[in-house]
Amino acid sequence: MTDTPIAFDAPDLAERLAHCTPEQLDTLDFGVIGFGPDTSVTLYNAFESQAAGLSPQRVLGQPLFTNVAPCMNNFMVAQRFEDAHEDASVLDDTIDYVLTLRMRPVKVALRLLASPGAGTRYVLVQRQPR
Amino acid sequence: MTPDLAQLGAEHEALIQFLYLAPVGLVQADLHGEVAMMNPVAAQLLMPLSRNGGLDNLFVALEGVAPELRSMVERHPEPSGKVCDGLHVYLNAGHGGKRVPQILSLTLLKLDPERVMAVISDITEQVRRERRLRQNDAWLNAILAGVKDYALVSLDLQGRVCEWNPSIERVTGFGPDLVGQPFTRFYPLDAMTLDHQQDRLREADANGWSLDEGRRQRADGSLYWGSALIAPLPDREPLPGDEAGAAYCLILRDIGDQHGLPERRHDDAVRDHLTGLANRRALFEAAERELGRSSIAPRPTALLVIDADHFKTINDRHGHPGGDSVLRHLAGVLGENFREVDVVARIGGEEFAVLLPSTDLARALAVAERLRASVVAYPAMVGGQPVEYTVSTGIAVALDGEGGIDRLLARADDALYAAKRAGRNRVDHWRPGIDVHDAHQENADAT
Repeated sequence: MTDTPIAFDAPDLAERLAHCTPEQLDTLDFGVIGFGPDTSVTLYNAFESQAAGLSPQRVLGQPLFTNVAPCMNNFMVAQRFEDAHEDASVLDDTIDYVLTLRMRPVKVALRLLASPGAGTRYVLVQRQPR
Repeated sequence: MTPDLAQLGAEHEALIQFLYLAPVGLVQADLHGEVAMMNPVAAQLLMPLSRNGGLDNLFVALEGVAPELRSMVERHPEPSGKVCDGLHVYLNAGHGGKRVPQILSLTLLKLDPERVMAVISDITEQVRRERRLRQNDAWLNAILAGVKDYALVSLDLQGRVCEWNPSIERVTGFGPDLVGQPFTRFYPLDAMTLDHQQDRLREADANGWSLDEGRRQRADGSLYWGSALIAPLPDREPLPGDEAGAAYCLILRDIGDQHGLPERRHDDAVRDHLTGLANRRALFEAAERELGRSSIAPRPTALLVIDADHFKTINDRHGHPGGDSVLRHLAGVLGENFREVDVVARIGGEEFAVLLPSTDLARALAVAERLRASVVAYPAMVGGQPVEYTVSTGIAVALDGEGGIDRLLARADDALYAAKRAGRNRVDHWRPGIDVHDAHQENADAT
């Protein structure tokens, strides 16, 4: 967990993230939001914090889809996690999306990760070249 | 960081979070719809509508569901002000899933000549709840509430009464000569068009029943509050030689007159407090219903927008109570000049509108001209003194529900401005190329 930087599109991304310390997550050049089965946010790295303009204290422990990222509370994102949970299936999908970082619409790629065994689900955010 | 900067930073962050968490969608854009700022709920609601994966332009994002926005903003004559207020945007129920809103409410505010601000919220549940409440109301009244008596009537495929029986006479007073007449005889004169009659039958075919509640009229002309349930009968294909056989049953109930006919029946939410007429919301709801039906069963729908001329002068000369008397007087004249089925509403300060179902331009022109003459002939009385005033009227007609109420209203407004510009106390109607821009200009100068 030292030399090779973790890539947004790494196939084993969830597993590699699970082994990272918060400090290591802060060095990544994409946003990491981790959340538990009750959707409360457990991980919020520096890249995401900087992009959104919110410090981790304001975000950690808050329900993701209602209090942190309401923009994802629709069938394109939130429901994917719910469906995966209900079907006990693995979710690993990357979609184009628009986030409103500091109220500016920004095109991003979102990678949605969840698996039945894992306690943490992830929304990963990579900015797209405009 | 100095303490001041730290303080500013914290306040900034709190403000950002406030906007992130605001439970309505907020968008700021330029007049071409290019988005400058938006908050997360706006993205949540608009992303499923985006067809190019982006949200760079508000009008593009909403093109498929509210194509009129761009032109509404372009045609908004004032440098600032509300372009639309709580516009119901019906989304196509394309995707499955419980998180898909079906109805958005959209308010567009022009901030200045360069910018607009949009407020967007999901009102699907709210609209559903209201609709359910209204339906429950009607159902309960039909079944329980103080039913005095009911009549059982069989109707043929065209909605004509097939047979007479004593229950019909008990409730409505009609004798056997009713047979062969349409069921609209149970309604006050002009309360229902022929098209509406067919709508009810089609609705019963589609849903298994059709229920409505309102004023009904007995054979002797007296009114009562009643509900009418129409249901299709099984085995109704006409037998050879029996074309007028029963195809529907109609249960007509007298709910009694404890409701206080008819104004008290409706709550304040749909009624204008000053005049007792329908309010803007009631007009829009009625128009959406009527235009929706006319897109299924083709027919023209006319809208009149009526404005009291030089109303400011009336207010100046007679004070606001005098102005209010004139508005109430005009409301009264409007009430007398239209059919029961027409929806007469007050939609602005001195602006009124009338929705005329199944009405073409020629007829609408005739009615509007009659109204204009009535206003001239019967002045309002203020403090025992006659106050003469006039009205200008703009007319637009939608064919087969095309364009919806927003376009219909915008066109009628354009025609109204043309009538004002041509000297007031007159009627004009919308046509392609009607000179709107100058009209607005001049009207702004001289209302």
